[in-house]
Amino acid sequence: MREVFYLATRYLSYHRVKTAILVTSITLIIYLPVGLRVLANQSRAELIARAKVTPLLLGAKGSPLELTLNSLYFESEVPDPMRYAEIARVDSSGLARPIPLYTRFRCRGFPIVGTTLDYFACRDLRLKSGRTLALLGECVVGWEVAHRLGITVGDHLVSSAENVFDLAGAYPLKMRVVGVLERSYTPDDRVIFTDLKTTWIIAGIGHGHQDLTNPATDTQALQKEGSTVVANSSLMQYNEVTPENIASFHFHGDPRDFPVTAAIVLPKDEKASTLLRGRYLSQKEPVQLVSPRELMHDLLATIFTVQSYLIAAVLIVGLATLATAILVFMLSLRLRRREISTMVKIGGSKGRISAILVSEIVAVLVLSVLLAGGLTLVTSHFGSAIIRSLILS
Amino acid sequence: MTSGRGPFRVRRERALLRALLLLATIFAGGCAQKGRDSSLNERTPSPEHRKPVVYTVNYPLSYFAERIGGPGIEVVFPTPADLDPAFWMPQAEEVLRYQSADLILLNGADYAKWVRRATLPPEKLVDTSASFADSFLVIPNAITHSHGPSGKHSHAGTVFTTWIDFTQASRQAGAIYDAFLAHDFADSLLLRRNLEALQDELRDLDSSLRSITQKLSGQTLFASHPIFQYFARRYGLHLVAVLWEPSEYPAQEQWDHLAALQKKHAESWMIWEKEPLPASRQKLLQMGIKSVVFDPCANRPSDGDFLSVMRANLENLRAAL
Repeated sequence: MREVFYLATRYLSYHRVKTAILVTSITLIIYLPVGLRVLANQSRAELIARAKVTPLLLGAKGSPLELTLNSLYFESEVPDPMRYAEIARVDSSGLARPIPLYTRFRCRGFPIVGTTLDYFACRDLRLKSGRTLALLGECVVGWEVAHRLGITVGDHLVSSAENVFDLAGAYPLKMRVVGVLERSYTPDDRVIFTDLKTTWIIAGIGHGHQDLTNPATDTQALQKEGSTVVANSSLMQYNEVTPENIASFHFHGDPRDFPVTAAIVLPKDEKASTLLRGRYLSQKEPVQLVSPRELMHDLLATIFTVQSYLIAAVLIVGLATLATAILVFMLSLRLRRREISTMVKIGGSKGRISAILVSEIVAVLVLSVLLAGGLTLVTSHFGSAIIRSLILS
Repeated sequence: MTSGRGPFRVRRERALLRALLLLATIFAGGCAQKGRDSSLNERTPSPEHRKPVVYTVNYPLSYFAERIGGPGIEVVFPTPADLDPAFWMPQAEEVLRYQSADLILLNGADYAKWVRRATLPPEKLVDTSASFADSFLVIPNAITHSHGPSGKHSHAGTVFTTWIDFTQASRQAGAIYDAFLAHDFADSLLLRRNLEALQDELRDLDSSLRSITQKLSGQTLFASHPIFQYFARRYGLHLVAVLWEPSEYPAQEQWDHLAALQKKHAESWMIWEKEPLPASRQKLLQMGIKSVVFDPCANRPSDGDFLSVMRANLENLRAAL
């Protein structure tokens, strides 16, 4: 039997061009639908992964897709704000843990996301250098922000003014970079994270300024009536939080009325999730509770319908190629009629000769299957990284 | 025949080697990925087999937590002994230590204003006075100012020395017990027993103080600082607060202000949070105002503990009255 394989392999290696073409076409026939399916499944998994670890999203009534895309990828339009009281409401329900997000502001093209420390744990984000947020005015940047802007720990970033013509609008705040995150291959790589309270300072809800009760600021006082001081526009407001002025930073109004754009809601269990969703079904509710997983599934179902058509087309082409390959083998047999009769003349039995020919076909098929398997393995191994890069770029 | 098999065998062995190498590379890649994942998981320390660490923002909470949790819980109160915890501003490193705690006990009532300026994990925060937040007192006549488009606003604050009304202190202790129980920090029976023992002692203090202050009922007292409002409310006292530092001799205008208040209210007592300067005490006595010290014990005392300081306060009052 060894001799049969030897002769078959010698034949294939002698006709290496023909063998290579056959192996390549059969490999591609097998690999294309399988590899495409693997890649599509991985793309789906990559796209859904973020939605999976975001069981529910709370936000103001409006487009659920916009809320989901902004809260997961920080890229679409900023949804309408909702009151912080809504987050406290979820928290006090005891059914879930909310993680607030305030994504209104940007800095040099990158989104500033005001949140709590829970976000880093929820997304499993790790620090590459520096430390996490500790005080007002600090920020932690994603890997890509640091990489693209050449930012390191100790540098500063200034939040962008929303409208250059609105002089009384949000004050740009100079934030100190205290940490750089490890690369996560998620949209978090392109984010500047800060404490929710720091984003409220950018929004002008909180601020720090000179002490108006200090006699040195009398020139800034337009009017002093008992315990009421009206300051003029020369009063210095701090645009950076420093150890010297941090104690002067304060917020005005009821924190329950302060704005947030969304909240990631982490229910305790499935039952809590169902109960919570039931509470937000009323039309009178000013907020909506959506499941990003379901929304992304719906969105992907539409997008990936095209995948079925593509695979069907590949299968049809594959069948045609397979038929051509069979034709090649049959024609090859005809061409080798003289060779086969020589083998008969030198004493080769019919069985042996058939075995040699079958071995050649089997060898080509096995080699093609192995190559297709290898390519599929490589695809499944490196596909995720490629997709992540594609999604991020 | 042997010479014919030779090259075949060599090629076959090479092919086998290549296939093995390919498999090994793929397998090693997979293992490396798994290894990276597991090393990430290892970074989260297991909470098992170590004492729960509880950080507090003032000494009374620290004392209550130590009493309720017992030796099985590590209670940390990091404010330096010479600073008032209400106005202390921790450095980033200290905030990071707070973040690493299993639980952070807050006094509530806007105490420790640094909490608003720091990033703390919300799920670890326990507001011990939340259950009676609706009965907080607000400091009146605080400075109000306006500038920019936000209009008038006030920096008025909530009175935060909640624990010198011992019934409120008892409820704060109850909140600590609830939090310890919810986090399964210790045996529930032990926690319950410790809480009840503490609440019994606080109840004794409360009834003693009620009987002592009955003599002052309906009278008006001066307070060296506006921090005794809950104490006054609980024990039926009327306080008029000034802003005097025990360690500083008051300026002439402060004396004049007090003299004017004295004409209006005819008080004969001033409550200090710390021992005043002998000269201040002497001058007050000349004005017919006796001094009595009631230390709120917001920071760790150099001697004794919260209860011993409160008992000393009671003795001061008893002796003075």
